[in-house]
Amino acid sequence: MDRESIKAGVYRVISQVLGIDTNQVAEDQSFTADLGAESVQSVELMAGFEEEFEIEMDEDEALAVQTVGGAIDFIAHYVND
Amino acid sequence: MKTGDLIEVDQPNLLDEQFDYSLPPRILFDGPQYEEVGDRLVRFNPEDALARDLVITDTTFRDGQQARPPYTVEQQVKLYDMMARLGGPNGVIRQTEFFLYTKNDRRTLDECRALGHRFPEITSWIRADKGDFRLVREAGVRETGMLTPSSDYHIFYKLKKDRKKAFNDYLEVVEAAWESGIRPRCHLEDVTRADIDGYVLPFVQELMRRSEQVPPELRAKIRLCDTMGFGISYPGASLPRSIPKLVYRMTSDGGVPHDCLEWHGHNDFHKVHVNGATAWLYGCNALNTTLFGFGERTGNPPLEGAILEYIGLRGDLCGIDTMMIQEMADYMRSIGVDIAPNYPFVGRDFNTTRAGIHAGGLRSDERIYNIFDTTALFGRPPRVAITDKTGVDGVALWVNEFLGLKGKDRLSKIKVHRIARWVMDQYEVHGRMSAITDEELEAQVKNNLPDQYATYQASRKAG
Repeated sequence: MDRESIKAGVYRVISQVLGIDTNQVAEDQSFTADLGAESVQSVELMAGFEEEFEIEMDEDEALAVQTVGGAIDFIAHYVND
Repeated sequence: MKTGDLIEVDQPNLLDEQFDYSLPPRILFDGPQYEEVGDRLVRFNPEDALARDLVITDTTFRDGQQARPPYTVEQQVKLYDMMARLGGPNGVIRQTEFFLYTKNDRRTLDECRALGHRFPEITSWIRADKGDFRLVREAGVRETGMLTPSSDYHIFYKLKKDRKKAFNDYLEVVEAAWESGIRPRCHLEDVTRADIDGYVLPFVQELMRRSEQVPPELRAKIRLCDTMGFGISYPGASLPRSIPKLVYRMTSDGGVPHDCLEWHGHNDFHKVHVNGATAWLYGCNALNTTLFGFGERTGNPPLEGAILEYIGLRGDLCGIDTMMIQEMADYMRSIGVDIAPNYPFVGRDFNTTRAGIHAGGLRSDERIYNIFDTTALFGRPPRVAITDKTGVDGVALWVNEFLGLKGKDRLSKIKVHRIARWVMDQYEVHGRMSAITDEELEAQVKNNLPDQYATYQASRKAG
């Protein structure tokens, strides 16, 4: 899967979980500081990514990812390995 | 000022010598303590205390019953039986005392003795009345406590006597005990408010002098009764409130052997347990307690607290069956006794956390927020109570504990996110003010984790 497809999927999940439009999301944004994700929402985002890409991520590593771009790259490892 | 350099380590230093997780934390000492007592500088060495035969004595059925409606005979026998198993074959719980005045008191004694336990030895408690020794003798009890109040508050205002009259009357009763072949245990009521040099020491010295005339097994015992909880454990405190000084004066100037000296405290100033442990370390061999601290007014040193202190001092279970502490709590609840949820060791929430950050710690390694291996020693794993403050960590911990999942089988936070969302919505959307119940959480597990719930149900049915 190419990076653009992963990015589209990540934006879609962010939009659903945080209730914001995809055009308000940018790769350099932080999930918590910029997008306002609270504790439960951070976990819901990870769960959303797992469902969207049919992967199972390492929880501690996944929750350590801070930005949208970081999440795209992190998920790419799982999707393309 | 001594400066220190950071020492980096490859492995965490968990201070295992003090915090062996399989036992209550070890109480270690760096060496002797020194206390000025009058014009003397006295050396107290905790190692000397640990070399003595430290024991717990119990007054659940005497002082403990003065704070509640009476126990039935069956309840007392059941509790006595459990107490014997708790204290174990080495007699860590060495004695327990009963009333002797009613038919039910005497039936209780007979039925407890019929159980055949060596420990706790049954003793009694009587008023300082010579006629009561007939009851003691008939009950076949070898030792009895008797009231010998020691402060002027009691001597002048309660007994309406002067010191000389009280002194002589008490000694007369002690002599009567000896004539009946019964060991007297003099309860020096209100001793932490008494004139130590002007009354208490002369009385104790006379008792010890007369004790030399009787066989060793009849020698008078002294119970130091901190009737109003005035005792203080701090170094440098003044008599009569200073426990170190009071105990030292009894052993050193009063001539009371350690094995004849006992501490009986009350909790009016929240000092009851530490005062009891202090008395142990400074010279009393016996610490008098009640189960869960129930006793007159604010209560007595809690038996289970003394048990845990004993293990911490010894660094060994010494034959104690710690599981009995929970069984006794369950039994007390079954007969209608309230135990506060936050009461140490047995309260419903004693090892339950509500804070999400603590739940996160527990999820990583339970040692972070659990006092010792409460699963192994009490059958009580650490728990989280779920509220809006608990967070996803707490929900994950609760779910994993509920399903009994260990190691790699444990579910991640990601897997329980729907349950965590339901919990948060209870508070944020529905304005809930109470904690989530276990039953509600089980229903959520059933709905959101059906496969794991089915496995859990199957394993429960299998045994």
